[in-house]
Amino acid sequence: MSNPVRSSNPLVWLFDPLQPTGAQAEHAFRPVGGPMGWLIPLGIGVAALAMTLVGWVTSPQQFYFSWLVAWVFSLSVTIGGLFFVLIQHLTRARWSVVVRRIPEALIWSFPLLAILGIPVVFGMHDLYHWTHHELIDPASPEFDPVLAGKAAYLNVPFFLGRLVFYFLVWSYLAFRLYTLSVRQDVDGDPEITVKLRRTSAWGIAVTAITTAFAAFDLLMSLDPHWFSTIFGVYFFGGSFGAVMAFMIFTARLFQRRGMLRQTISTEHYQDLGKLMFGFVVFWAYIAFSQYMLIWYGNLPEETVWYRHRLEHGWEYNSAALLALHFVFPFVVLISRWAKRLLPLLTFMAVFMLVMHWFDLHWIAMPVLHEHAAFHLLDFSALVGIGGVWLGLVYFRLSRHGLVPQRDPRLGMSLGFMNS
Amino acid sequence: MSTIKELARDVKGSMGIFDGKDESLYGVLAEFRHPGALLEAARSVREAGFKRFDVHSPFPIHGMDRAMGLGNSLVGWLTVGGGIAGMALGVWLQWWTSAVDYPINISGKPFFAIEPSIPVIFELTILLAALSTVIGMFALNGLPRPYNPLFYSDRFRKVTDDGFFLHIAASDRRFDLESTQKLLRDLGATHIETIRDSGTADAEA
Repeated sequence: MSNPVRSSNPLVWLFDPLQPTGAQAEHAFRPVGGPMGWLIPLGIGVAALAMTLVGWVTSPQQFYFSWLVAWVFSLSVTIGGLFFVLIQHLTRARWSVVVRRIPEALIWSFPLLAILGIPVVFGMHDLYHWTHHELIDPASPEFDPVLAGKAAYLNVPFFLGRLVFYFLVWSYLAFRLYTLSVRQDVDGDPEITVKLRRTSAWGIAVTAITTAFAAFDLLMSLDPHWFSTIFGVYFFGGSFGAVMAFMIFTARLFQRRGMLRQTISTEHYQDLGKLMFGFVVFWAYIAFSQYMLIWYGNLPEETVWYRHRLEHGWEYNSAALLALHFVFPFVVLISRWAKRLLPLLTFMAVFMLVMHWFDLHWIAMPVLHEHAAFHLLDFSALVGIGGVWLGLVYFRLSRHGLVPQRDPRLGMSLGFMNS
Repeated sequence: MSTIKELARDVKGSMGIFDGKDESLYGVLAEFRHPGALLEAARSVREAGFKRFDVHSPFPIHGMDRAMGLGNSLVGWLTVGGGIAGMALGVWLQWWTSAVDYPINISGKPFFAIEPSIPVIFELTILLAALSTVIGMFALNGLPRPYNPLFYSDRFRKVTDDGFFLHIAASDRRFDLESTQKLLRDLGATHIETIRDSGTADAEA
């Protein structure tokens, strides 16, 4: 079967595997506004990355931690986007068709993020205490029987193998979900909708498992004595809320730049807002579930994780996390009118993205710093990785129709109303 | 006295329970051919200034809330009230049972602590919020209501199958038997009946 959309040349393939199809899009769904929309974030990102790399020389350990937090931030939003697209196909969602292209373009970030993850591999010795060989050598005075017991799972080759596996799986799913949907724009083949649903059926199970284990590997193993079986769900909850915020922010940005104005309505924003609100609550529910069981069990190797985060200034970060990642957005977003008041919703979306990063910082950084601290590199790495990542998402969006224009359910999405 | 009676009428009217104007006249019932006609009729009746009217159809009709001029349901406020009451009850229950009435030292933990209390507080919040939502929804809809004068109309039985009805209550301030019937006829009603609380329905057209 001939493919109507050609692959792009190998240099661009990593950023967008398909030749532009935007010119074939219907007028209302056509990307406009020129390349500045993606060049600006990309340029800012590259500049900030250059600044961040200076930190690699001056304070490498800080650099690795800052990089890890910023990289996992972009990665988690992308994983959230993958979940969102999979769920829409599995549930045959109607309302979301007009906003689906945004996460579809988002998820082809996995190959880029695999490359941006290389510094984490170089920094493993600084980031992950369990990589120190003397800890699992019974003859060494540093011998740690707990970590020796975990060595079958926490060892460098297996760790790297798992990371490669996660990125292969995510990239394969992203490739199918993204390229098939763009192909449908051009040839309108209704079979593609069925294919996407079939892929999503196994895709969501695999994504769920790989996401949980990625959270264990990348974040939980920073404190290798500590363990929490719910940690993967916690990571997922934050990520899914963050991708809702990302979609609200991106849709509003594109509307301000003169695109999708007649397509995405207050009704769609209200639904995105509902999901963002729902995952504010879900995140808090899971965060509390994790905390309460550890409080009740009162086992030293578990409580120490919270102990670190409740002293030396980290207690303010913990309180801020509770107040600003849950209480404040809960109160603001609970009302129907708040989710339909677009300036407020957009502000909350940006705010929740910042809080998601704050959450990841709160998870990772107490491992490095006993006393609560933000470092300039935290911000430059976030702007750097985030800018490059965002710029290339918008690059993909600038090359294709902004809506899956021949999706069989598009009409129902355009006319969608909240009762 | 009369203002209290009037207030009670208004409250019942908001629940869809319309008192008859007098013993003999309850209102007019008009049948429309299809949901679109009913939607249009509801819009026109609201624009004509009627307040006490209701529509009946075999299935929910999209956009009917707006056509009838129904605002947001008040049930959300009852949910909040129930939720706050449940939360207060949960806090009190946890504190009183574990720190006041029967304090037991469990591995040195505080008698009353917020951490283990939250599940109880949370569940009671949800329980009372959910119950007040359901009960409030029934109350605001005036349910359960086994008796309705509209049941005197034989034609009204079609409402569970293929009938689309609009009912204007006689107690509405703008109600006037002749002009109301004319309005409904002009809106394209296929049948119009006058409903009397005494147990009869007169077919007019």
